[in-house]
Amino acid sequence: MIDVVGFLVSWLTLLGIYSILALTLNFESGVSGVTNFGKVLFYGVGAYTAAALTVYLVLILNGFDVGRTPPYSVEGIVALGQLAGQNPALNLALFALSLVLAFLAAGLLGYLLSYPILRVGPAFVGFTLLSSGELMRIFLQHFEPVGASKGLMSIPGPFAWVPEPRVRELAFLGVVLALLALTYVVMDRLVNSPLGRTLRAVREDEVAALCLGKHVPRLKATVLFIGSGFTGVAGALLAYYLTAVNPGMFVPAVTFNVWAMIILGGMGNLRGSLVGAVLLTLFDRLLTFLTPQLGITVISPDYVRWFSVGLLIVALLLLRPQGLLPEEPVRTPALEELEVALRGGGSG
Amino acid sequence: MLPGYPYSIVNFLHYFFFYLLFSLPLTLSYRNTKVINFAHSNFITYGMYTAVFLHGLLGNTSLPAAAAAAFLVGGSMALLNNIAVFRPLERRGASPSLVMIASMGLWIMYNYLLYMLADVAHFFSRKNFVSYSKIAYSDVPELSIAGFTLSQSFVASMLAALGLVVALYLFLEKTRLGRAMRAVSDNPVLAEVSGIPRDTIVNLTWLIAGGVAAVGGAVWTCFSGTITPQSGDAMILQVFTVSFIGGLVSLLRTGLGALAISFIENVGIAALNTYLGVPTSFRPFLTFATLLTILIASPPLGAAGGLPYRFRRRG
Amino acid sequence: MASILEVNSVSKKFGGVVALEEVTLSVPERGIVGLIGPNGSGKTTLFNVVTGFHVPDKGEVWFRNQGGMERIDGLNPNEVFARGIVRTFQVPRLFKNLTVLENLLVTPRNQLGERPLAALRRGWEREERELARRAIELLKRFDLLPYANTRVSELSAAHIKLVETVRGLMTPARLYLLDEPAAGVEAGVAHRLFSLVRELREREGLTFFIVEHRIEILTRYVDYLYVLHNGKLLAEGKPEEVISDPRVVEAYIGGG
Repeated sequence: MIDVVGFLVSWLTLLGIYSILALTLNFESGVSGVTNFGKVLFYGVGAYTAAALTVYLVLILNGFDVGRTPPYSVEGIVALGQLAGQNPALNLALFALSLVLAFLAAGLLGYLLSYPILRVGPAFVGFTLLSSGELMRIFLQHFEPVGASKGLMSIPGPFAWVPEPRVRELAFLGVVLALLALTYVVMDRLVNSPLGRTLRAVREDEVAALCLGKHVPRLKATVLFIGSGFTGVAGALLAYYLTAVNPGMFVPAVTFNVWAMIILGGMGNLRGSLVGAVLLTLFDRLLTFLTPQLGITVISPDYVRWFSVGLLIVALLLLRPQGLLPEEPVRTPALEELEVALRGGGSG
Repeated sequence: MLPGYPYSIVNFLHYFFFYLLFSLPLTLSYRNTKVINFAHSNFITYGMYTAVFLHGLLGNTSLPAAAAAAFLVGGSMALLNNIAVFRPLERRGASPSLVMIASMGLWIMYNYLLYMLADVAHFFSRKNFVSYSKIAYSDVPELSIAGFTLSQSFVASMLAALGLVVALYLFLEKTRLGRAMRAVSDNPVLAEVSGIPRDTIVNLTWLIAGGVAAVGGAVWTCFSGTITPQSGDAMILQVFTVSFIGGLVSLLRTGLGALAISFIENVGIAALNTYLGVPTSFRPFLTFATLLTILIASPPLGAAGGLPYRFRRRG
Repeated sequence: MASILEVNSVSKKFGGVVALEEVTLSVPERGIVGLIGPNGSGKTTLFNVVTGFHVPDKGEVWFRNQGGMERIDGLNPNEVFARGIVRTFQVPRLFKNLTVLENLLVTPRNQLGERPLAALRRGWEREERELARRAIELLKRFDLLPYANTRVSELSAAHIKLVETVRGLMTPARLYLLDEPAAGVEAGVAHRLFSLVRELREREGLTFFIVEHRIEILTRYVDYLYVLHNGKLLAEGKPEEVISDPRVVEAYIGGG
């Protein structure tokens, strides 16, 4: 008996998290033209912030000496497992706190990193962000306090105290979808406003925008702050969902998976990002399901999945670079005024 | 005495040779094609793995043979990229950003394709190709100078790098084709009018760029302790930063960049290690700091975009 | 009339090429001043220096503000714009994937809705409607209203050129630097454009500094004319005097 509900819940949760990534990447790269090849950096920062904060505080607040039983040690992991369900208020409080801190940590990092790349072209922007991501991964692999290459495990989730697993999963899914909705509303408001219009102008011709008085450096910094902040939140959600983080989870292929989503969905169109996320996660699940069925046991299915992401990007750019949904004009009252004028009579 | 002497000096030179082999082709490719190719590191990795597969599957121990095969592999990859992806996109009027993103897609594809090839090779030979150890070649000597030995890879990389520099110089300065290549990079429109087919030049550039970088990868297999499909990517930061120092267009400045980065990464890190206790595995952070400094202080505004914005205190 | 813009001995070199050499000129407030010269004489470079695109190697640029003359060379382009100087580009730099209306609406300064927190709420809608109405008026004036919702990438070259100039007029600035506003535009429209320039000067007290190639159009509308040749100021004066100056004639025939 296949667990349909279970499959749906897990797929939708991951979809929700990935959708947040797609929306923010579209906001940064699709709307504003900041080629973010380092998306995974902010994802990882958010995840690790949430994970580290939670596991350390749970142990400390329950009287453990983290010097002697650090959260990444076997004893620490066992202790975390036992403590997970004991204090609902603590779990929820830490969860909320982690989300806020993940937003701030990732957002601040995005803001700081925008500084060296303010004046240079998209290649350097993309490359610097990509390298930052890789350096973070190398750093985390060696950084003892977060478990080095093994990472952190047994992260107590916000609903760990709920006895029924299905209810737990559904509650978490609810939170993810709520945060997704929040992200969507924020992005949609920002894009369909004078700010969104100005950001698109910066994307089209940043020099002209500068000459028309737009403070391009400040705009880019703002974009990276907001985009990275929400990405950090997505990372935190991932950490709680998987109850574990390790550096190997945050590889460049993750960034390009999200790029494939926004290219497929249509750059500059927020609903397109959602469509792209749905299609790509579905495709990913299908592939995971099919490859063993086809008897391809020689090659690890992971490799096939990531290979197809790259292939998809190249194919899309060659065949249909505009994606599925086109970019629409900025939705502001100006359009209504225009309609009135066009209806009211011809030229003056 | 200089920190880490004499090993840091030997390493400094050693890496200098490798960075010449890896970065000069990158600068050459951008100069002539105006394509920012993020799949460049694949040429290096595939060069490594050509040598690895020849060694592991066919028992090859000849470096020149491995290098020649690598050249063919790398060159073909580069040509394929151009014919299948870059050229069609350019013909369609795609923006440089779009072509760059496409090269990212290619990077991912080539990366995981190699993992799949390694899996297949493992299936047939029972050997582990995902982590392969250093290869000792039978036809490259070690040199003994002033009491210590210069390893096989030092000799090979030195010969290859110097050979590359000389060959490039002679080609670009003295041959008709080479001068045509320079014409294309300096002024593509004019070059077109004078009857030189830009397409041929571009294809030839990719062949050389991919081939040479792959040769560098082949030589790397007798240097590095372990070779993995990530080995080329592990050096993207350095390879691209070196080319960025040359503004992606100047071969001479790329060479100077190679000198600077290998100095910073070997002598510099040795100094930081000795005096401040910084672990040597922090090398890439030093290069990253160099990259950030270049971007802030003297942004490569010419190549691929730039904003006439100056950070001052007035206004 | 006091001068609103003063360029003092400005020089600029690119590599080995001298683009501007000791150029000194001034534009009176409420004036309509023309700048002519053969191709490559440095007109656009001068505009670039005045608007902060380039930093002059030597010399200064002064602009009259509330408090008096302020030195503006070396300021960033957005800071120059903030002081009330707008420039249009000879080769139009419109935002290609934005509509004509959106292109116009990007121009005004300090829109409330450009601030992230304000953008999230809805308080900017009234200002947006006002700006939209102003833009629509402007479009109507030049028969561009039917194209308001068309992407710039789909416009004809003449329309693109026109929108480039019209976009510059969208924001209330004090000094307008128009770089060949009528190039490629048909004569009737060109005259409408210059009439608007005259009108804006009379009605709003704006100042215009215009580079134009079609001297016969320019001379009808400008008060004063400067001539650049090989980066140096060749001649200046009332239009009729300048165009009959033998040096100017020679420069155009010889070099143009």
